Amino acid sequence: MTDTEVLVVGGGSTGCGVARDLAMRGVDVTLVEKGNLTNGTTGRMHGLLHSGGRYAVSDRASAEECIEENRVLRDIAGHCVEMTGGQFVQLEGDPDEYFEEKLEGCRECGIPAEVLTGEAAREEEPYLTKDVKRAIRVPDGAIDPFRLCVANAASAQQHGARIETHAEVTDVLVDDGGTAESGRRVRGLEVRHTSGPGKREHRQPGETEEITAEHVVNATGAWAGQIGEMAGVDVEVRPSKGAMVVMNCRQVDTVVNRCRPKGDADIVVPHETTAILGTTDVEVEDPEDYPEEQWEVDLMIDELSRLVPILDEARTVRSFWGVRPLYEPPEMGTTDPTDITRDFFLLDHADRDGLADFTSIVGGKFTTYRMMAEKISDHVCDKLGVSAECRTADVPLPGSEDFSVLRDYMDEFGLRSPIGRRSVQRLGSRADDVLDTDGPNPVLCDCEAVTRAEVQDAIDQSGTDLNAVRIRTRASMGNCQGGFCCHRMAAELHPEYDEPQAREALDELFQERWKGERHALWGEQLSQAALNYALHATTMNRDRDPADREDAISFEEFDSGASASKGDESKTSETKEARHGD
Amino acid sequence: MSDAESGGDPHDARNEETVESDEFEPVQVFPESEEMDLRPGSDDCYKCSTCDSVCPVAEVDDEFPGPKFQGPEQWRLKRKDDRDIDDSVMSCSNCMRCDSSCPSDVPLSQMHNTARGQFVQEQMEKLSQEYLRNRILANYRFFAELGSKVPRLTNFLMGNVVVQSVNEKLLGITSEREFPEFADETFREWWTNRGGAKIESDEKRVAYFHGCYSNYNTPEVGKSLVRLFEYFGYEVLVPPQKCSGTPMFANGMLADARRAAETNVSEFAAAIEEGADVIASCTSCSMSLRQEYPELFDFEGTASVAAQTYEAVEYLRLHEDLAAELERAEVEDADFAYHAPCHARNQGLAGQAVEMMDLLGGASAEDVGESCSGISGTYGWKAEKYDTSMEIGAEMFDHMEDAEAETGMTECPTCAMQMEHGTGYEIRHPLEVMAEALVE
Repeated sequence: MTDTEVLVVGGGSTGCGVARDLAMRGVDVTLVEKGNLTNGTTGRMHGLLHSGGRYAVSDRASAEECIEENRVLRDIAGHCVEMTGGQFVQLEGDPDEYFEEKLEGCRECGIPAEVLTGEAAREEEPYLTKDVKRAIRVPDGAIDPFRLCVANAASAQQHGARIETHAEVTDVLVDDGGTAESGRRVRGLEVRHTSGPGKREHRQPGETEEITAEHVVNATGAWAGQIGEMAGVDVEVRPSKGAMVVMNCRQVDTVVNRCRPKGDADIVVPHETTAILGTTDVEVEDPEDYPEEQWEVDLMIDELSRLVPILDEARTVRSFWGVRPLYEPPEMGTTDPTDITRDFFLLDHADRDGLADFTSIVGGKFTTYRMMAEKISDHVCDKLGVSAECRTADVPLPGSEDFSVLRDYMDEFGLRSPIGRRSVQRLGSRADDVLDTDGPNPVLCDCEAVTRAEVQDAIDQSGTDLNAVRIRTRASMGNCQGGFCCHRMAAELHPEYDEPQAREALDELFQERWKGERHALWGEQLSQAALNYALHATTMNRDRDPADREDAISFEEFDSGASASKGDESKTSETKEARHGD
Repeated sequence: MSDAESGGDPHDARNEETVESDEFEPVQVFPESEEMDLRPGSDDCYKCSTCDSVCPVAEVDDEFPGPKFQGPEQWRLKRKDDRDIDDSVMSCSNCMRCDSSCPSDVPLSQMHNTARGQFVQEQMEKLSQEYLRNRILANYRFFAELGSKVPRLTNFLMGNVVVQSVNEKLLGITSEREFPEFADETFREWWTNRGGAKIESDEKRVAYFHGCYSNYNTPEVGKSLVRLFEYFGYEVLVPPQKCSGTPMFANGMLADARRAAETNVSEFAAAIEEGADVIASCTSCSMSLRQEYPELFDFEGTASVAAQTYEAVEYLRLHEDLAAELERAEVEDADFAYHAPCHARNQGLAGQAVEMMDLLGGASAEDVGESCSGISGTYGWKAEKYDTSMEIGAEMFDHMEDAEAETGMTECPTCAMQMEHGTGYEIRHPLEVMAEALVE
């Protein structure tokens, strides 16, 4: 008897998608993730819901999958998707042949494509450059990867799955006695819980747990090689980094792609309140340790300003890097990472390496995560002898059941209209459950219009992990980057969690915010950082907070104040002197 | 003559060329100011909240979310097709204090004006009492013109208790305030009767934007301005003109404002062509021509009118030795409790009246502090805003009572109404006192 039927490693889109799929088929699933959900590549992408247009010339199979899944996700994940539409924009001087090829490719792959004159393109997107010759309009969209991943995990849980975040795999348990010829099989994993098991709780001791399973799925993307290594098999992922720059506000409301053969810095995606510029493609050795270089940020702004000139002057709030989990069979030997296929590969280690009950999934892209998950689940069910069919294309995710954002937020929830609208856009059909509160419901994050009720709902889901609260709500992801709300979020942890826990959670969130801001320190964002520093270091005294001292404060060293110490003249004057000398 | 002064900060909207430069221009898909995309303006905001701390409405009304929310936050949260604007924008009094307090040049009042315009256009019921009332208040000039044809009858009627209570019940115009009286002879009638300008000059020429109030209600202010400028040797032009638009912006009636602005820009741009600079006696009128027009409209000539418009006393201080003239002059018993209107403050003119009065023999002016008078044009006339208006004004009333003077002074006609309403003092315009001292 094993602890679980299937053990999935990796809390990104693929892992959560597999967990949901299997759980809906009645399989007992456990998912382990070393950070919070979306901690890896899923949380570090530009949020494009592909129409397939980007692959319509180079990789038509992928393009066809994209348009198919694009339609599925609009259905099942409405509250994660904004159908912005997209344009492939040809500037003066960009090759005509490529434009024609793109158009033809789209049409052949079944991607609705319409040619716009330069004038029409600029009427849709007024900030496009005058140099637009023409454009192809395609059904690209924007998708929130955090919300999507969390919804998949929530759905899996509703179907009985166990989801363990902050549970890092420390060993892959390999046994003799499997069905493969070598007789070797994976029987489970050893994981280390940072705190728990269960919800994250700062300052709780962690523990190590052995989880046994009938089958283990390695859905760790760029980290698949590391898990493979623990199991003694080679998984040749070729992680490739891409830089993305987050703008303070939207300069465009549709996805704007440059219509030319592959190149860096050729896409602007409107994402929630921001626009994200992408990207670069550089192979790296280690998915966690690679240089984040300023030239990548500069390149993004310089190149994309040619497409949308206002970007040159616009404020950036942060930059981030993601690593693509690229894979190709070793014999291909492609040198340029941009030439490596975006297709995914299912590695059955029983066939490949003589190691039974272990499957790795590598390559692939976010838009088709559900289809990948379906194929992996089919494969696993086949191994387990489960005959249930996949239902993930038909059953909406939690939050995406019928909902409308056209409501009277003020009357219903006592919220001002832009706050109500944004909250309902994020929460979808869960809005009534979350926002209908008895107590006062102030806005905690002004930039992103996140109220206490939404933060409390996220805390219920994820314990003291404020970064997990952040990805669920967008609190602290706006223009002040948490300067005005990190501490408000941390305060919400009390009284369920105590003060030192809240303090540690706050530090962790604040540091994560700062990490991305380092690459945007000029102009207005530099002013913002300086103000944030003043607020936190000076007003809140967080750089010298006595509460952070290891040793207790000896309060008896202090006198009792002016009124109490009248009898003790010498002490009072001493205090005064010290103050003058300060 | 004002070329020398029109340089300065190239980012100031007033100094931008109306002629399209070779630089990037977003395509003109925003023909109406109600459709402008001001999201990029939120880039400048680093959330410091200084605007919220100087907002007089937020200070007394806990329900009002403040200028930071109304402006950069609300704009940044918008997606292209989002139409709804929070109704709290109607509680903004358009004092524009947030604008001058912002350390980072966020175009706050432009954001508020545009959002308010969108709100009124899209969300306000056109048959509602509020819309009707606001439309009437915003178009004060229209009714003032009718009323001033029969000033005595109108004054009798508007002062009538029955009419006032009907106004409140039917229109939501407060009955607490005394309606301003119409003059027997408007400024323009006086101007025509006297045969127009008494001085002709090719070197010194100004075009006077008198606005509605000094035309219909206090022509003495306009007459004083004319006498004063003629005393300094200026040829005064009085071009045809409509309302400056201030009450229309404040009520979100941008289409009305646009019509009025179009006439004003074309008339005054023509005067500028003839070598005149534009002067105004009302600080809200000059504010409107200088800042709101270029922020909201782009008629030909908008930028040059904005760049060459001055408040009247400001203009004399720049071009004449007004200080020396005042020092030589003398008046009797002229002590004033002076309130600087918010819109004067925004133009950097908060200190000039006190400075000038103190130079004038026999006169003195005491500044009654930085607070807003609370009336903000049409705001304090609305029945539901009256209490807020008086609460904002309380600090000014107290300071006026504390000051030695028993007469008030301000440049803004509606601030003057509020000062009189709260203290019972007579309120003078600086131009009246200066004209008395120098001309009569």
